[in-house]
Amino acid sequence: MGSMISGHRISYLCRAIMAIVIAGILAACGSQQVTVKGDFPAPLMEPMPLRIGIWYDEEFATHEFFDDAAGRSEASWLVKTGEAQVQMWDTVLGSMFVELVPMRGEPGGGEMNEVVDAILVPHIDELQYAIPLHTNVKVYEIWLRYRFDLMRNNGDEIASWTMTSYGKTPTAFMRSDTDAVNLAAVMALRDAGANFITNFARVPDVNNWLEQRFPSSNTAQFPQTNVETAQDQAQSQSQSQSQSENTTAVAVETQEPSPAMAEDTSAEDGS
Amino acid sequence: MITHRFYAALILASVTMLTGCVTSTVDEMVFNEPTMGIGDSTVVILGRRHASDYETEPDFVECVGKHVSSRDSTIEVIGELEFVNALYPWFEPRTAPLRPEDIEKLMAQPPVAAKMAELKTEYMIWIDGSTVRTNSAGSMTCGIGPGGAGCFGFGTWGDDSDYEATIWDFTDRAEVGRLNTTATGQSYMPAVIVPIPIIAPVQGTACDGLGDQLLQFLSSEY
Repeated sequence: MGSMISGHRISYLCRAIMAIVIAGILAACGSQQVTVKGDFPAPLMEPMPLRIGIWYDEEFATHEFFDDAAGRSEASWLVKTGEAQVQMWDTVLGSMFVELVPMRGEPGGGEMNEVVDAILVPHIDELQYAIPLHTNVKVYEIWLRYRFDLMRNNGDEIASWTMTSYGKTPTAFMRSDTDAVNLAAVMALRDAGANFITNFARVPDVNNWLEQRFPSSNTAQFPQTNVETAQDQAQSQSQSQSQSENTTAVAVETQEPSPAMAEDTSAEDGS
Repeated sequence: MITHRFYAALILASVTMLTGCVTSTVDEMVFNEPTMGIGDSTVVILGRRHASDYETEPDFVECVGKHVSSRDSTIEVIGELEFVNALYPWFEPRTAPLRPEDIEKLMAQPPVAAKMAELKTEYMIWIDGSTVRTNSAGSMTCGIGPGGAGCFGFGTWGDDSDYEATIWDFTDRAEVGRLNTTATGQSYMPAVIVPIPIIAPVQGTACDGLGDQLLQFLSSEY
């Protein structure tokens, strides 16, 4: 009798282990979902003397990216960034301008919005990701391309420009793919904030608008990257190379994205 | 009683012997060492994150910081994340200064200067490098059946660490030292029913090597 019970127990144990192993294999080939979560610090800067309205459209506030599995050995990925985007941009813009006013509706859409100096409308044009499985490099990467519209209350455009951001994180012991992609996304969002802060006043149309608003002051006083950064070095290298090769200079990101993402690196430009 | 102690000692000796071998080299070039220590000033250790194909591991940066502060409690090491968050966005990979002279321009911004004064940072140490898997070979098969489970086979892999630490003197806005550490080691995992990992602590050795060199620079006790 004792041996029967023991035998049954072993059988149950084996079935349980087999079930766990099979579930693990199935999960590895299933879908991975990441809802990006992170803490975003407030920028350390003197706020610009502007009252800026912010309008997040539905697509931006609920932004998600889905990538279907290319093969049976790969997993589908769903990366939800909308909530984290709103959290990050609220934090960054809230410290970047003296006042940030959430708009009740789309600018110029007949909505009774509060009167502000300008309304910023961010869009996400593109998101790309790469994991070590794709690239054989020990880093997880996220690349984003934003489009910003700066407009008046009536909907007239002041400026429209694109901006890229990039985040990566190395592989680490006991860190899952989803945790690593989340961390890479948080880094990309932080990079987006840094890029926006340091280059907002450099966008030609924004710069013209600022000069019109503050004719007596030098717009160079507004936050910009005033140290030679990796981005500046990369740009100057790119320009010198391009000049020597007699080709058109293109903007270069601080960190070169992986080869899988390289095709879109020339997207960043002022309008 | 003696038998228990004997077995315990045997197990301890076995575990010690099961660590793989690591070869480590450290180079240093430093100037203006603070012979009296750094007083109540602080040190921040940051990872360089500009390269496209690798990233200085945050764990490694943390390991070096802990190595320094645990061996000389008078040295206050500010955590990387704490520092980078406090000075966001000026020390992000995109915006971080690449040369000591750039600190001057950064300090032209009153909020940044005030925060730096509050943190009392005297030395800023940038670590650049990574640990990579150089080779791997062997195979292992694991199976499960009604009678039990087990593995059989042999695996081996090598790791290489290469890190460089650049020390900036915040007061003089100058680079005052460069330390380099490399470590290499081979790990093994034989398996006869139970896999027995014999791991070479390559990154840990590099961390200890760099940490010791930084201690010699920063601490008055070393």
